[in-house]
Amino acid sequence: MARAEFSAQTLSVLAVLCAEPREWRHGYGIARDTGLKSGSLYPILIRLADRGLVEARWEEGQPAGRPRRHLYRLTPEGLASAGAALTAARARASGRGGRRVAAGEVRWAD
Amino acid sequence: MGGLTRALAGWLRHSARLVPAGRRAWVEALWAEAGQVPAGRARLAWQAGGLRLIAREALPARRAAKVLVFAAAAAWVAHEAWPGPAGNPGTAVNRLHVVTLLPVLAGLPLLVRWLFGPAAPGPMARVLRFGAYGAVLALTLAKASVEQIADNPAIASRLNSDASVPVKTGMIYTWLAASLGLLVVGMYVAAVLVATARRPRVAPATLAAGTGTGIVLGAVMYAVFPLGITDHATNPWLHGLPIDLVVLLAWVSLFGGPVLAGVVAARCHRRPGSPEQVATGGIRQAVAAGFLATVVGALMVAVLGTVTVALMARAGWVLHWLYPGQHLTAAVAYNNELTASVRAKYGLILLVFPVIGLLMGVVGGGMALPEVPPGLPPGGGGPPGPPGHPAPAPPGGIRMAAFADGRPVRLPGFAEDSPYGAEPALPRAG
Repeated sequence: MARAEFSAQTLSVLAVLCAEPREWRHGYGIARDTGLKSGSLYPILIRLADRGLVEARWEEGQPAGRPRRHLYRLTPEGLASAGAALTAARARASGRGGRRVAAGEVRWAD
Repeated sequence: MGGLTRALAGWLRHSARLVPAGRRAWVEALWAEAGQVPAGRARLAWQAGGLRLIAREALPARRAAKVLVFAAAAAWVAHEAWPGPAGNPGTAVNRLHVVTLLPVLAGLPLLVRWLFGPAAPGPMARVLRFGAYGAVLALTLAKASVEQIADNPAIASRLNSDASVPVKTGMIYTWLAASLGLLVVGMYVAAVLVATARRPRVAPATLAAGTGTGIVLGAVMYAVFPLGITDHATNPWLHGLPIDLVVLLAWVSLFGGPVLAGVVAARCHRRPGSPEQVATGGIRQAVAAGFLATVVGALMVAVLGTVTVALMARAGWVLHWLYPGQHLTAAVAYNNELTASVRAKYGLILLVFPVIGLLMGVVGGGMALPEVPPGLPPGGGGPPGPPGHPAPAPPGGIRMAAFADGRPVRLPGFAEDSPYGAEPALPRAG
């Protein structure tokens, strides 16, 4: 059987970023939505950025009372890849009797 | 809890410098987010993830695994080699080895990486480096074990009360031998690291040829040395033969092995370039293969031989295996092996073999070069062909024109309808 392109944890991150692809998300927000710990989330984000699927930038201006945040969103290529991967994952899940493939609370982007 | 999270936050902020510049923003991002995480265990867990990220990015997994394996092996060697009576010269030598050799082994890869680049791509370079480190650590361990016995009369007397195990008394000899041994072992490790680094461009085929030949050479030499130290040692296997075939094979392997490795390495050398460049490259690969063959062989025989000697005092089956059918006491056999192998011959092997390997590698490279027929002038060209026919006489003809009084004129006999008569306006000469 061919190995899936993304792990279940990566799929959960892609799913969160796919939900509102034009919005910039910050790391803690993604961690909260996926249930991933920071030690798992950031390596995933780094890998996705290395592959050109996620773009990152620092928040503009200095917000009051907290440091600037690093923000993330899918690139157009990332959006296409994430859409295809999530569709394939959903098909695999339905083929196995509707079992959930991704760990954590995965909210599929429809 | 609050103090711990504050301490971790400070550590995270400062340790971002450990991460390569291209990755630093990610650690800073994680640190910046930590303030948004609810205080308490959740924030602590978030910061712990940051530490994981730093460890992961600052120390790539493969390098971390190598460092851990080496650290564990070095710690084990130190633990085994360190103990011993304080007044025993062997204990001092062992401790010297631990405090000098292990840091040298740890630091040499960094030095070689700086001077000669990282490890060459491909599995051969990694296998060779791993093998060299394993061999040197095993040698240190076995040598420590031998020293603990050789310089400890209490253990020696347990082997046999009639025959004594030699006890080294000359301190100058002991320290000289220990220092020389350290130097030689350090040079061996450095040689393997350089040969497997990227900049010297030793081909994988060369590494394979040198290593393969070295393993054969080491196995044959090991058969000769622990089994053939006394003239009769191999007789139980080769009884009645007029010549000891193993010894003959050892000599052939010592001189023929590096030549063979050199020939194979030079023949496998395929690089674009002029014939001179290709030949020079082939010779270089051959020398490297010959050198590696003897380095691997010498290291192997030194390690196996020393391990055998170390085991002899502890495991009875080694004695029976080495001297089948001979009723030697453990002390006598141990004395034989120790005197012959550890004191002089393995040191000699470690020093002399690489020189032989270099020379024989040159011979192998020369043998692999394409042959040039003698008698040809320098500059190349093919062999002389059959004698040629004399050149035919030039056809009859005339010069079309010449100069008379500084002006062009038509020569007599020039045909007006000649296809060359494109300039009829020329006056006739004379």
